Amino acid sequence: MGAEEAGISASSRPTLIKAVPPRHPWRWVGVGALIVAVAMLLNTLLFSHTQQPHQSGSRFGWSIVSQYLFTSTVLHGIVLTIELTVVAMAVGVVLGVLLAVMRLSKSPIISSVAWVYVWFFRGTPVFIQILFWFNIQALYPHLTLGIPFGPSFVTLDMNSILTPFVAGAIALSLNEGAYMAEIVRAGIISVDEGQAEAAHSLGMSRSKALRLVVLPQAMRLIIPPTGNETISMLKTTSLVSAIAVVELTKAVEEIAAQNYQTIPLLIVASLWYLAMTTVLSIGQYYLERHYAKGATRALPETPFQKIRSQLFRFRPTPAALELARQDP
Amino acid sequence: MSNLPMVKAEQVHKSFGSLEVLRGIDLEVASGEVMCLIGPSGSGKSTFLRLINHLEMLDAGRVWVDGELVGYRQEGDKLYQRKENEICAQRSEIGMVFQRFNLFPHLSVLDNVTIGPIRVKGANKSEAKERARALLDRVGLSAKVDAYPSQLSGGQQQRVAIARALAMDPKLMLFDEPTSALDPELVGEVLEVMQVLAEEGMTMIVVTHEMGFARQAADQVVFMDEGRVLEAGAPDAVLGNPSNERLRSFLSKVL
Repeated sequence: MGAEEAGISASSRPTLIKAVPPRHPWRWVGVGALIVAVAMLLNTLLFSHTQQPHQSGSRFGWSIVSQYLFTSTVLHGIVLTIELTVVAMAVGVVLGVLLAVMRLSKSPIISSVAWVYVWFFRGTPVFIQILFWFNIQALYPHLTLGIPFGPSFVTLDMNSILTPFVAGAIALSLNEGAYMAEIVRAGIISVDEGQAEAAHSLGMSRSKALRLVVLPQAMRLIIPPTGNETISMLKTTSLVSAIAVVELTKAVEEIAAQNYQTIPLLIVASLWYLAMTTVLSIGQYYLERHYAKGATRALPETPFQKIRSQLFRFRPTPAALELARQDP
Repeated sequence: MSNLPMVKAEQVHKSFGSLEVLRGIDLEVASGEVMCLIGPSGSGKSTFLRLINHLEMLDAGRVWVDGELVGYRQEGDKLYQRKENEICAQRSEIGMVFQRFNLFPHLSVLDNVTIGPIRVKGANKSEAKERARALLDRVGLSAKVDAYPSQLSGGQQQRVAIARALAMDPKLMLFDEPTSALDPELVGEVLEVMQVLAEEGMTMIVVTHEMGFARQAADQVVFMDEGRVLEAGAPDAVLGNPSNERLRSFLSKVL
């Protein structure tokens, strides 16, 4: 009787639970406060007018923003920013792998050289390192190629080689190498020792085991922080504006120095930095997905696949479910 | 030539720090012979196995595989450590199967089996793949060629690991507790593959707790305890009618 009503009888299907979910009144208060805050933000961004005398238009100067968004000075700055980021990250990653392998070397000398490198370049501000390389001709006016303590073959003027761009690229690369070294090392250590042993038992040398077995697996741990580093590097390149490299930040500063529209031009730079980091984040997502092969039973869907499968998935309506329940 | 033992160990000693794991092991495994190493955990069985392909370095004594000193070269009475490429060459002729499978999780089953022949021996890619398919068929996994290790059961993974080792055409196979990490119902499928391998004349050294397998497949059973060989002989003699007190108490716990 009672069991019959609760749907526990052997022949019928179980009654699905229909329970009232708990209420969250404070959540609604929070949502309300947020809506007000967002409305205020949109209002000040889009509709409030400038307080400056003798000027009209929106407070943030959106018309000036759009006017300068695609000017050639800004676009040239973006190219330099991208170049610096690519160079610094490429050199940084190679240097990082090298230093990480050195750190894990059995030779205490090789291992401590790598340690000292990381200690030095991580322990001093990157801004000072940039200024240092920019001013290095004060320390070494000439670059000389030759035999150590012996005769020299070529002598070059330091100023002609170390242009501000080169100085900035070197400083950023060497600094990045120190951070990448730690990231790569953490990735290598995370791979189970049995993997290297299995590789050795097949007759692989240490370097082959590292290249074919350990590093590909370490990549899964290396990529997320490396993506982080790349995004961070994209913005750190703005520091070289201090040594007269006209990358994005310096470009908008120069324009602002002429027309005094500092805020709109800082917005121009911010929009571009945001656009570039967005592209990088998307790239990182797909790279992570690639290296997840074998680590998860099924690869996660990409956003596009998710949208597609959502659109075409057959979703039974409550009415259809009810119909199915009644049909024995 | 056939009188030459495949593996010969002479007074092998090994310590980890102050812990003496092996205290003078003398063993011989003839070509085509199957030797099962049994004994309580911590008795040094696995360490001894790992010395044979130089995953561990020995402190004293000698190990020969197929007449060649493992890890060292002797000239007169002076020993030289072998270079990495020589050690790799020695290892490539010795197959090893691990307790925890140690398949490469980032590679498909087929790539796991072909990576050795292609990257170490420089084998032709399509030939290596064909060979790998045949080997996977032999261990009953031809349907799983494109799967990744994480998609397989433990028993299947261990059979892939055996195929991976066999792909190198080893003259000796080492098994380090190959069924200890498996669910009980999966042990049989792995032992079956090993049994067939033994019948085909592969030289095998198997560290195991599977007494049934030892009785059935082994030509020689060796009981180790505290880094020493306490009993060695035909399975019936060692397992059936043990004279050694410690072996008897060990068997009473395992069987």
